Amino acid sequence: MILLTIVSQNPSPSPVGVPGAGIFTQPFLLSLIVWLPTIAAAVIATVPNPRGRYDVAMKQIAFFTNMGVLALLFIGYNQFENFLPTMQYEEKLSWLPAIGVTYHLGIDGPGLVMLVLSGLCGLASILASWGVRERVRSYFCLLLLAETAVNGTIVARDTFVLVLFWGAAAIPLALLILGWGGPRRAGAAWRLLGYWGFGTAALALGVFALYRFTGGQSFDFDALLKPGLSPRIQLTVSLVMIVAAATRLPLFPLHGWIRDVLGEAPPGVVVLVAGAATRLGAFLILRTVIASEPAAGHILSPLLAALAALTVGFAGLAALRTTDVRHAGAYLAMVPGGITVLGFAAISPLGIAGSVLSLFTGGLAAGLIAGVCATLAERAQTRSLAVLGGLAPRMPNIAWLLTIAAMALLGVPILSSYSAEVMTFFGAFKNQPIGAFAVAAGLAVSAIALAVLLRRVLFGSPNPDAPGVSDASLGETWYLGLLAGALLWVGLFPGGPKIPGTEVPLFDPGLITQMSAGISDISSPYVAPTPSTAR
Amino acid sequence: MSEIVLAASGAASGTRSAGFTFDPSTTLPWAVPLLLIAPFAAFVLALSSIRTRRSASAMAMFGTVVTLLLTLLVAWGLSRRSTPYVATYQYINMSVAFSGPTNFQAFTIQLILHVDHLTVVALLAIEICMIAAIGWHSVMGRSEPGAARFHAVITALLFACSGMLMSWDLAELFGFWAIGGAMTYLLLAHRWGLDEAASRARVALALPFLTDLSFLCGIAWLYARYGTQKLDALLPILHTNPGWTVRSLVVGSILLGVGIAGRLALWPFISWITQTSVTTPPAASAIAQSAWSIIGIVVLFRLMPIVVASNVQTVRGFISASLVAAIAAPLLSLLGNEPRRAIALAGSSAVAIAAAVVMNGFQAQSSTFAIAGVAAVLAIALARAGAVLAVASIAAAMRTDDLAEMGDASRRMRTSSGALLASVAVMVLSVVGALGFGINSRSPNGFVLGEAVLLCAIAGLRVFMAASFGPLRRRRAFEPDRVRETPGALGWPYWIAAAGATFVLASLFSGWLNLLDGQSHKAASPAAFLTWVGVAVLGFAAAGFGYATVRDGAIAASAAGGRLLGRVMAIVFGAIDRFVIGPATDVARRLGDGIPAGDGAVGRVTTTSGRLALAAARLPAMPVVIVLAVVLALVFALVAPGVAR
Repeated sequence: MILLTIVSQNPSPSPVGVPGAGIFTQPFLLSLIVWLPTIAAAVIATVPNPRGRYDVAMKQIAFFTNMGVLALLFIGYNQFENFLPTMQYEEKLSWLPAIGVTYHLGIDGPGLVMLVLSGLCGLASILASWGVRERVRSYFCLLLLAETAVNGTIVARDTFVLVLFWGAAAIPLALLILGWGGPRRAGAAWRLLGYWGFGTAALALGVFALYRFTGGQSFDFDALLKPGLSPRIQLTVSLVMIVAAATRLPLFPLHGWIRDVLGEAPPGVVVLVAGAATRLGAFLILRTVIASEPAAGHILSPLLAALAALTVGFAGLAALRTTDVRHAGAYLAMVPGGITVLGFAAISPLGIAGSVLSLFTGGLAAGLIAGVCATLAERAQTRSLAVLGGLAPRMPNIAWLLTIAAMALLGVPILSSYSAEVMTFFGAFKNQPIGAFAVAAGLAVSAIALAVLLRRVLFGSPNPDAPGVSDASLGETWYLGLLAGALLWVGLFPGGPKIPGTEVPLFDPGLITQMSAGISDISSPYVAPTPSTAR
Repeated sequence: MSEIVLAASGAASGTRSAGFTFDPSTTLPWAVPLLLIAPFAAFVLALSSIRTRRSASAMAMFGTVVTLLLTLLVAWGLSRRSTPYVATYQYINMSVAFSGPTNFQAFTIQLILHVDHLTVVALLAIEICMIAAIGWHSVMGRSEPGAARFHAVITALLFACSGMLMSWDLAELFGFWAIGGAMTYLLLAHRWGLDEAASRARVALALPFLTDLSFLCGIAWLYARYGTQKLDALLPILHTNPGWTVRSLVVGSILLGVGIAGRLALWPFISWITQTSVTTPPAASAIAQSAWSIIGIVVLFRLMPIVVASNVQTVRGFISASLVAAIAAPLLSLLGNEPRRAIALAGSSAVAIAAAVVMNGFQAQSSTFAIAGVAAVLAIALARAGAVLAVASIAAAMRTDDLAEMGDASRRMRTSSGALLASVAVMVLSVVGALGFGINSRSPNGFVLGEAVLLCAIAGLRVFMAASFGPLRRRRAFEPDRVRETPGALGWPYWIAAAGATFVLASLFSGWLNLLDGQSHKAASPAAFLTWVGVAVLGFAAAGFGYATVRDGAIAASAAGGRLLGRVMAIVFGAIDRFVIGPATDVARRLGDGIPAGDGAVGRVTTTSGRLALAAARLPAMPVVIVLAVVLALVFALVAPGVAR
């Protein structure tokens, strides 16, 4: 708030020399990003397609829509003002004034990070779905609708709208699994609907409770989620929100859907779910618990640390024990979520900043590991680890991508997950040392599970009885390479590349630079006082 | 990059006065970053260029030699400087808070390239080891699979080693540490395709990963208390930062100590070296042992001020742990007849002795003792690599990994046998040099260290004696007369041992120690040297006498001890597997299956209730309403005051 005062008194000039600066003077950028996929879905749904003649055109519409969203995001990302702690690109229209519902959108640094992640995962999911042959129209319609729901959840600043978008994501994804999934797709789809529906109910319960406790005037975030609520209400609502988030991220023990969903869904859906949709759980904790209810944040931080440790430990052990490569990928995709939550549990500025960065890196790493396992299982024509073996020479692209995914999960330097994990751990050791140790131990188990997976699948002795294998197709390489490339880019240039000899950004102002907007404000209730000298 | 290019062009286009007035220190701004860039470029080229064995080997050798030349150039540039050269590049800089303690308001990770004489000498030692190992492997590792991968990983490890030695920011140090750890695992697990190699390599991942996590936790713990991870900023505020406590320093020191001990492969963290000693390519094992010895001791030397700042008990605890490691490793080495494992354990003992010398030096506030320990490890590392390569040559020629089946190498493989002897001698005499500088042989620590030197000498020499003397017996499909040196490979262990001997000789002079840490030290007394040399000679004599008189009996006793140890370890690991790993993974499996099964039951109940609701909807309305009214009336009647209560 101090910074806000300074900024309002001494307005800083808009960033110059940055591509896209000054294009969006009217606030409609977020609506475009949210609704463009829906418009494209409507187009795909209505254009005539006799005997599937225009299937490729539909794929192209979906692809170029996502490219358009990414272009909009690129402009918004460059125009984003990282020194402002407030929401940016805000849009506010009255929708249901009788109950105080507004169409209110806006993003700050963490929101921008999530939008970039969602954009990348959206494009990756389209590329991963290029091989879809059956009911192409329906498939891409549903995929674009799911993207809208994810993006809408990220930018919603009205809790009523948030609940709608949050709940809406489950339906197209469940239909996608039901229509294009593996042999056990029915169970997976129902499980997704059940868990996410339960989470939506919990979120709605929390939102309506807040609405009731704050006087029933408005559903707006700014009115509903404010630190002035009594600690008892904060605690109750935060617990409900954590349950809602735990069904989505997922956190142990509400993770029951992830194995079947990531094990049965087509690769395009896997990337969208593991990469972007699941990160919404952590984003919800950030928005509704950490940023808005500091009293509850302080009280519940040990619970969050315990959930993080249990999630990472369970995921590692389960991946170690499973005999299904897609299940292993699904379990391992839970690990980044645990690390993100550990940063929130740290309730320190650095831990929260690390968690925000880990939303991005963890989403990419989870999408990559789950996606590469799904693609590998398709290309190897089996998902049994007892059958797979010695594939590295025969599928070098997938071998490299699986290795990069493993390194990203473990936070090996050069990849951006290193920065996120270092920040999270550095932040966590102040307030949650036991939780941090436990998560570190869980990471060690995950490392062993990854080593076993790599050895069995890639480097073990080839199995002569295994079915024939082929390397990833161009589209598959591109979609996995996109995720790996993003991890590498942010790892190499977290502050963005600069014009040599200057501090002027070349074309990317740097994800870490941009994400810092608003983090100081979010973490201000958790700043430790200057300690006194004592022994 | 642009700064490096500018520095290079500046150095090249300086004003020319009469005559050749080249100032080597002007090369530092571009030569120092190139120490990182050169091995990384070699790594990329080795990965992406022609993937034949010869080209990969040549590329790795080329990259390592270029790095060696750059190191020599940097050493020349530093020769006229009394202060280290420091270059700083920003990696992460973000503001995270606007209030609270100032050191926690921003988070910064910088690539600080801090080059001093110790850095350069340590890097030179590592490069010598790597060049020898690559050269040896190009001949002896012809049949190894994945040549491109192997050599690419070696260059990446060199990149990480350069980074670790130059790092002055602990987060940066951990970054390079993690890369080095990952590359070491890939080297040790190189023979993925073989089941035994792959299963043994799991230890090489799990154990160092745990200790690396401890190292990360230590850094994070210190950051959480001090708000900085830059060494030059951290060390001065260890006792002045508001809120510091002895407890926090003790915990941080222990975590860092465990992390370093894991990579130094001190007992009990040595199994990642010993378990893979046979199943990994010998060159990989040699590189892992030598490079991490040097990295570990240099990092320990730099972080010891943190340990010393905690309290006296912690330093004593560290020294005691080193002494135990120094005694336990050679004792374990005597049990079993696998020569590479025995050499690894003897080397670990030597490193533990040197580490104890370093810690003792810091405890006694004497920098001479400390740097003498570091100087000793520089020689030990070379000797370990030489010994591993020499004994691997012998084992390959005699086609056995059992000392009982070896023999007569002094006649049939004279160079390898001589290199093995020289390496063992260098290993033991280097610790003698360090001890001579400052450990009182009459002190309790001196007594234990004397025991350790004695055992280390016995453990090292017994391998030489068993392999070099005695009959080489005929076995099935093995003809002793065909045993001979492999042309092209025989020189590498010899030269690396010679380099180690040079380091040992240098470490005996105080001028070498002055050069390494930039301080002035007194020369050690010849009497002290002679005392410790006497202990080592006693150990050599004991081993020599024992193997000269009852060779077969000694080998049989070792074999029996090895079998016993194997049984004990099998019981211990079996118990761990049965009571820890098994139940834990079983719980995870049951949960993984049980939770979906449980929610499936919830789903079925939900479906059934939905069906019932649908069935109820089809019933005639009036009777249902009447039944419901009756049920509700009964409930209200029972709840209402005065009826049931």
